[in-house]
Amino acid sequence: MTEDFYPRILVFCCNWCSYAGADLAGVSRIQYPATGRIIRGMCSGRVDPTLIADAFIYGADGFLILGCHFGDCHYIDGNYKAQEKIDMAHEALVYAGLNPDRLEFNQASAAEGQRFADLNTEFHERIQKLGPLGSADKYPLPELTERLKIAQKALAGPKLRWVVGKKSVFTNGGNKYGEVFTQHEINRTLSGIIIDEMATHSIIAALEKKPAAVKDLAKELEIPPPDTLKYVLALNRRGFVEMDGVEGTSPMYKYKGEQS
Amino acid sequence: MEKANVTGSVMVVGGGIGGIQAALDLADTGFYVHMVEKSPAIGGVMAALDKTFPTNDCSMCILSPKLVECGRHININLMTLTEIESISGEEGNFTVKLKKHPRYVDMDKCVGCGVCASKCPKKVPNEYNEGLTKRKAIYVPYSQAVPLKYTIDRDACLYFKAIDAGKKGKCKACEKFCENDAINFDDKEEIIEVNVGSIILAPGFSAFDPSGDSLYQYTNFKNVVTSMDFERILGATGPTDGHLVRLSDHKEPQKIAWIQCVGSRDIHHCDNTYCSAVCCMYAIKEAVIAAEHSKIPLDCAIFYMDMRTYGKDFDKYYERAEKEIGIRFIRSRIHTILELEDGSLSIRYADEQGNIKHEDFDMVVLSIGLEASRDAPELAKKTGITLDKNNFAVTSCFSPVSASVPGIYAAGCFQGPKDIPYSVMEASAAAAAASTSLAPARGTLTKTKEFPAEKDVSGEEPRVGVFVCNCGINIGSIVNVPEVAEFAKTLPNVVYVEDNLFTCSQDTQEKMAEVFKKENLNRVVVAACTPRTHEPLFQETLKASGLNKHLFEQANIRDHCSWVHQKEPELATEKAKDLVAMAVAKVALVKPLEPVTIGLTPAALIIGGGVAGMVSGLTIAKQGFKVHIVEKKDRLGGHALDLRKSFKGETVKTFTDDLIKEVTEHENISVHLNAELEDVSGFVGNFKTKLTTGKEFEHGVIIVSTGAGPSDTREYLYGKNPNVLKWFDLDKKITDEPETVKAARAAVIINCVGSRDDQRPYCSKICCTHAIENAIDLKALNPDMSVYILYRDIRTYGTREELYQEARAKGIIFIRYDLDNKPVVKEVDGRLNVTVTDHVLGRPITIEPDFITLQTAIVPKGHEKLSRMLKVPINAEKFFLEAHMKLRPVDFSTDGMFVCGMAHYPKPIEEAITQAQAAAVRAMGVLSKEALAIEPIVAAFIDRNACRGCGLCVALCPYKALDIEETEEGRKVKLITAACKGCGVCAATCYRHAITINSFTDDQFANQIEARFAA
Repeated sequence: MTEDFYPRILVFCCNWCSYAGADLAGVSRIQYPATGRIIRGMCSGRVDPTLIADAFIYGADGFLILGCHFGDCHYIDGNYKAQEKIDMAHEALVYAGLNPDRLEFNQASAAEGQRFADLNTEFHERIQKLGPLGSADKYPLPELTERLKIAQKALAGPKLRWVVGKKSVFTNGGNKYGEVFTQHEINRTLSGIIIDEMATHSIIAALEKKPAAVKDLAKELEIPPPDTLKYVLALNRRGFVEMDGVEGTSPMYKYKGEQS
Repeated sequence: MEKANVTGSVMVVGGGIGGIQAALDLADTGFYVHMVEKSPAIGGVMAALDKTFPTNDCSMCILSPKLVECGRHININLMTLTEIESISGEEGNFTVKLKKHPRYVDMDKCVGCGVCASKCPKKVPNEYNEGLTKRKAIYVPYSQAVPLKYTIDRDACLYFKAIDAGKKGKCKACEKFCENDAINFDDKEEIIEVNVGSIILAPGFSAFDPSGDSLYQYTNFKNVVTSMDFERILGATGPTDGHLVRLSDHKEPQKIAWIQCVGSRDIHHCDNTYCSAVCCMYAIKEAVIAAEHSKIPLDCAIFYMDMRTYGKDFDKYYERAEKEIGIRFIRSRIHTILELEDGSLSIRYADEQGNIKHEDFDMVVLSIGLEASRDAPELAKKTGITLDKNNFAVTSCFSPVSASVPGIYAAGCFQGPKDIPYSVMEASAAAAAASTSLAPARGTLTKTKEFPAEKDVSGEEPRVGVFVCNCGINIGSIVNVPEVAEFAKTLPNVVYVEDNLFTCSQDTQEKMAEVFKKENLNRVVVAACTPRTHEPLFQETLKASGLNKHLFEQANIRDHCSWVHQKEPELATEKAKDLVAMAVAKVALVKPLEPVTIGLTPAALIIGGGVAGMVSGLTIAKQGFKVHIVEKKDRLGGHALDLRKSFKGETVKTFTDDLIKEVTEHENISVHLNAELEDVSGFVGNFKTKLTTGKEFEHGVIIVSTGAGPSDTREYLYGKNPNVLKWFDLDKKITDEPETVKAARAAVIINCVGSRDDQRPYCSKICCTHAIENAIDLKALNPDMSVYILYRDIRTYGTREELYQEARAKGIIFIRYDLDNKPVVKEVDGRLNVTVTDHVLGRPITIEPDFITLQTAIVPKGHEKLSRMLKVPINAEKFFLEAHMKLRPVDFSTDGMFVCGMAHYPKPIEEAITQAQAAAVRAMGVLSKEALAIEPIVAAFIDRNACRGCGLCVALCPYKALDIEETEEGRKVKLITAACKGCGVCAATCYRHAITINSFTDDQFANQIEARFAA
């Protein structure tokens, strides 16, 4: 990418460590590129996965989230919880087509002005190489945005939030039956749910536009037809989708609207 | 309460971490504090440390919030560059004469911009960096200093140098360039008189200066540095910007040696008989941090005599350093240090067996000891208190923070070398002790600020005023401020914009308050420096003009913009515009918030009636609050009943008996014997407890002082041979049957029985000293008795070291053994027979003692159950875990709960008493309030109807600030605002978007993001 491209980067800082680190970089006059815009929160654990999606939906070329070092969190373990949520958001957004390098979670303490500047510089350089949003990603704009919106819906829903919320419980203490999951097992489960949720929400989005048959949905959304059928039937069971006549030999489905 | 005519203020001398803690505790319990600090800023030694052990926390990160809090507390009068001149009066009513040195900078005008220092032509060694860098003659001690006001160093200033030499003064560059006319060359020394009820002395320590020493060659060899130098080398703001390089050639070292006990336990090179108590741990910390820090593999070796890792989690830290990080520990004596051609150093040393060896290193770090503050003799003279031979303040083990003059208290290293948590505990304890006699005057001198009634802005459209600051030239010389201001006018909801030279200056603040009214603003954005330092100031202005302080947002266009993009002014201006747009977008959505206030029951529950529980209870009761002491057994006293004397030789029994009597008779104390907790509910200020006796009561705080006791053991024939005793059996025997004891020809004491092994990887802290005390007493009873102490490391930290020296002088034989080669105890023909490998000879030797005493480990009992009931954590060894090992040593992370005594970790009686007093003052921080006010940056419902009571947020809340309740609308989350800290994990978790954090809501974040990309 050319040097002329000046990336639009968002930086989330927690109040206690990274924001103070940014202040110290200032006090120490450590220079770094002027492309980041800091949003202050109390803790990196406050970062809602849907907000991460928002950043890219609104058009950020990169989002750098900075918390305290592990073990230093002002709120005991908020940054561990942040890590889990951000990992999940990362996976969902990348699945939707975002270049994985556009989102990063890192740490800088209140005494690390230099580190804060370095992290910003490195991130800036990386995003500058990638180019604007949509240029080094799986899809161009505005298609990417549409897909990110679907990811956002998946990230807003209960399934992913429950699993990620309970992740450390499952991997440390075990579930209700005392079964302890390995990190690998839980991540695999999470990946499976991301795929399911993304597919489900893409189908809803497509059916919101117009009724469709399973085979057409499968083609349009690039989901194998048997899986598409499975998702549509599940949506039908949950009352989100209903049959809307038959066209040729194919039953047509339509979206019924949000059910509470 | 007989003394009613007392002054409700306290003077704290010394602005290190100890002084700061004492001042905050006093100010938070209703006493006005005059804080006197000799240097231009508070912070002390801790401000210069890189990391702290055993958590490796960044020192500045944990200190800085306390500095800021202390600096702007309405009830702390911070007097820097000030010293005590003289003291008159007595306990309750002292008059202190103070000398205030001139700063030559007007504190009201200086905004800390630093232009003066950048123009000042004179450079001198920077004390903060141990002289390894230079600072200017006009300076702030360090970048996060409080107060952040510049000072002219008269001895260095070119102008003053000329004046003082009788010539005409020139230069005055600072005055020329100061945008705020803050420089005042005519500033004069002042004498001030202050009336106070008590005085706390916490001047800290002076590090041992190894310059004159021929052995360590600090002055001659450039790559021999002190541990303080090394802290600065590791520090991000240090001479090498945090790069680990040696000073002679800036090469990255591959091998570093630490030499322990430099200026400690040494009567040859200095007169310091005592152990400095902290060097073993800080050396390990420095080695660990250096090894983690270094880009190339780093070989660290620590040359030591005894490894004294006696505190909580210290031994685990030591283990990890040795086994995981590969730090080498070499038990040795240093012989000579030689410099090699390339600046490297060759250490010659004698190992434990006396063999002379040598090894080369790139750098050598001297672990310098802690000496009494150089100001101590002068301070003692002015205050009349007594110092010991090492110039540490004399205190008793039973009133460990009271100096020899009533009404004057000593805390921190002023009364002996110690680490940060112990200094913090002593500071809190001193605050408790200093305020006890002043309790009738509580609240008589403290101030509260009055503000006009708040304007109701609900239902009004946002009317945002934007104030863009030039910060002198700090912002204005890079960012085009007029352009930013013009841009701000185009933003939605903005009705007023102005730019100022210094938005924070007193006159601008006054003008702003008028503008708020005239323009009928209901939201304010200031684009200036960082909210971390200035948000409270601007919020005050909002309050002063009748606006809710939360209707404010600050855009940081200095620290995050003009200062860090100095070469890109146009891009910086663009960034500043975006930051202003984002702040305006956010402020439009913020809502006025009321501080949450909750009532409280001014009573304390104390669990455990040992010395710690009784002392904390009595301290609280004496200040007029109700106390419930719950004791499982049928009598008060706990393990103190088994103890004979303190390490200073004072009789424990007399003290304990008096204490029990005082507690039992005190009108404010209810003692519940033979009782345990059955149920506890509630939160800070409002707990409800039911005892197993059926008794129920309400209280505002809980102090856990359940203690710990000697462990069971089956080792060394204990329980099989009647002459194998536990330590307190020997105590009893010495008291009850001195004649039998006297008849013995040989006695063996075995240390670390059940401590420092795989099962209990911690040091029980009190055993080494106790073994030595008993050994000395055995020798006193019968000088011909052969007394052996079998040990692993002798951990007579601090002035206890003198007991160790006494024991050696008296002929007590110390034999070191290893964990994998423990002593073997057998019964041969009815006699005890001990075989142990002598560490010097390397051969097994056999002793036939008349009796053996086992220093069994100190273990907690029943803590799991209590931990579950109170929902407070215990560590792997089942000791209660405090909120923060360094700076909150007696608090639990749950508000309103505190811990003291051996429930926290094994400790000697004076430390338990200190901790008990500390816990008491922390508890009184809650009890002394009429109502608890909570900053409303807490969890709140956006949409309670959306909540389905699923409980995911409840499970993730780190503070138990959420619960589930059954309501008429079904299961809902219940907000326990008093316990909430506002992290927002719940808000980021809720899939119903029912819950949020005030002032950090999803729509505010989204608005900020949108505003960034709107243009």
